[in-house]
Amino acid sequence: MRSRSGWIRFAVVVVLLLMLPVLISEYRMNLAITIMIYSVFALSYNLLFGQGGLLSFGHAAYFGFGAYACVILVKQLSLPLPLAIVLGGVAGCLLGLLFGIFVVRMRGVSFALLTLAFNQLIYVTAEKWRAVTGGEDGLAFVRPSFHMAGFKIDLYATINWYYFVLLVSLLCVGFLWYLTFTPLGRLNFCMRENEERAKFVGYNTYTARLAIYVISGFFAGIAGAMASSFQEFVSTTYINLDKATDVLMMTFIGGGGTFLGPIIGAFALTLINDLLSTWMERWAIVQGILFILLVLYAPNGLSGLYLTLRDRWSRRAAVETAT
Amino acid sequence: MDILAIIPIQFLHGLVYGMLLFLVSSGLTLIFGMMGVLNFAHGALYMLGAYFSFSILRWTGHFWLSMLIAPLLVGGLGVLIERFLLRKVHRFGHAHELLLTFGIAYIIEELVKWIWGNQPLMVEIPGILAGSVQFFGITYPTYRLFILLISAIVFSVLFIILFKTRAGIIVMAAVSRSEMVNALGINVPLVFMGLFGVGGALAGLAGVIGGPYLITNPAMAATIIIDLFVVIVVGGLGSLQGALLASFLIGELQSFGILLVPQMAIAFEFLLMALVLIVKPEGLLGEKA
Repeated sequence: MRSRSGWIRFAVVVVLLLMLPVLISEYRMNLAITIMIYSVFALSYNLLFGQGGLLSFGHAAYFGFGAYACVILVKQLSLPLPLAIVLGGVAGCLLGLLFGIFVVRMRGVSFALLTLAFNQLIYVTAEKWRAVTGGEDGLAFVRPSFHMAGFKIDLYATINWYYFVLLVSLLCVGFLWYLTFTPLGRLNFCMRENEERAKFVGYNTYTARLAIYVISGFFAGIAGAMASSFQEFVSTTYINLDKATDVLMMTFIGGGGTFLGPIIGAFALTLINDLLSTWMERWAIVQGILFILLVLYAPNGLSGLYLTLRDRWSRRAAVETAT
Repeated sequence: MDILAIIPIQFLHGLVYGMLLFLVSSGLTLIFGMMGVLNFAHGALYMLGAYFSFSILRWTGHFWLSMLIAPLLVGGLGVLIERFLLRKVHRFGHAHELLLTFGIAYIIEELVKWIWGNQPLMVEIPGILAGSVQFFGITYPTYRLFILLISAIVFSVLFIILFKTRAGIIVMAAVSRSEMVNALGINVPLVFMGLFGVGGALAGLAGVIGGPYLITNPAMAATIIIDLFVVIVVGGLGSLQGALLASFLIGELQSFGILLVPQMAIAFEFLLMALVLIVKPEGLLGEKA
């Protein structure tokens, strides 16, 4: 997107997103909000999965921790919602630091297993610590309006909430995009390709992995906080294994190899789930089969498949014009 | 009831679940030790065993027949999964294999919900095993003792095969020195496929006998897979004795944990798993990689 056409495309998408509430119904707007929230979640996951080459089965811990933190802060301390959402991110970040200290020592299957163990630890804690989390019943609240310096912004109305989520999501996506150009972001790719070499060049890969893990926890926490504010409800379903594997599915199906892949995955799966679940109850099986086919034949997901096909097509076109 | 009478019963409860866990985890741990493949679908195969058994029981009315046929079906499925899916992604690395088996588990779970429904199914315990037995002043359900008996038979046979026969020596050798065994002219992929089949069949058998005891429902795969991963990690990668020890520990930890600190009982095994991964990543009885 450093090219000019890339910026133009980006501007078109932003304008479209800004105009969306005029174009679509309120129901579709809710869908758009869900997609934006899951895009942030999937992008945070892809810092580990696609960019860092680490398969995590425990990213729901940070999503859920942020979600609970946000609801509890609003409910108990009546903090303003935007602040609570940022603090939800901070909560995810701190949990990421706590677990990351141990987790980032692992690679491959051990990494997957330890993240899973920590995820389940948070899950059972949320389930059993009823006094704080409400156990299986969860916690419900009403999304409060935002007061500042005499202004009042009604975040309860869907359209205002849409613009709020859009703003936060764009900031998150923008930062994560920027991160890929920073030395830390570059090092993340480098460690995926050849960690030994990164060490040899003199990088402290442990600290770098930890930093990436903490950043990833932060954005997962933000996404979780936005999700619980959106649903006005949080329960253990925010942390369970299904949530942890949902984000894996989205990221993988969209493709972890490109920056936009996870967004495509979040978009496609959320939309298809919504469209098909009403008249095709067994969409999940199709989703599973699609997942397996991609694992077998297109390990870089839909976006990777698109790039491969585009390359092949343009090469063929080049050959044809040459002859 | 006084505390002294509870301890042996609680111990038996833990032992029964632990041994069931060992039955499922034995195949999984050998496969993991041999090829580094962590089979996420192993829990789903166990669940299929329970559901197949339910259907066979409904059609034929023979529990013993279902105990024979269901494991064979599940084992066959295991062979097919290895031959036609897993082998294709082997060159992409272990994380990729984990993704594939995760996808398979996902599909099996959805299929089970589709075919058998979301609600738990009651599997009837056959007549002779339905009552309870008295010994040493303890009254204990016969069926649970039957689970212990089956587990004991299966792992005695498994141990004898693994440590005393040529086939077993090949498997154990392939677990520790896969490339060397391959170089000696033994078809390791074939051994692997066979092991996948046997592992699947054992999981299926555990499903058959576990179904009436742990309630047959679509969540049973997700429940046991997490326990299985704990067993694999705690016991040590590829160590059969480690799996036995870890299964026993987890069974007792759950059983006594619920008795002593019901609130935090489930958290113990994850703490144990995290602790082992951090302090002794190769597992209690595992060899250093």
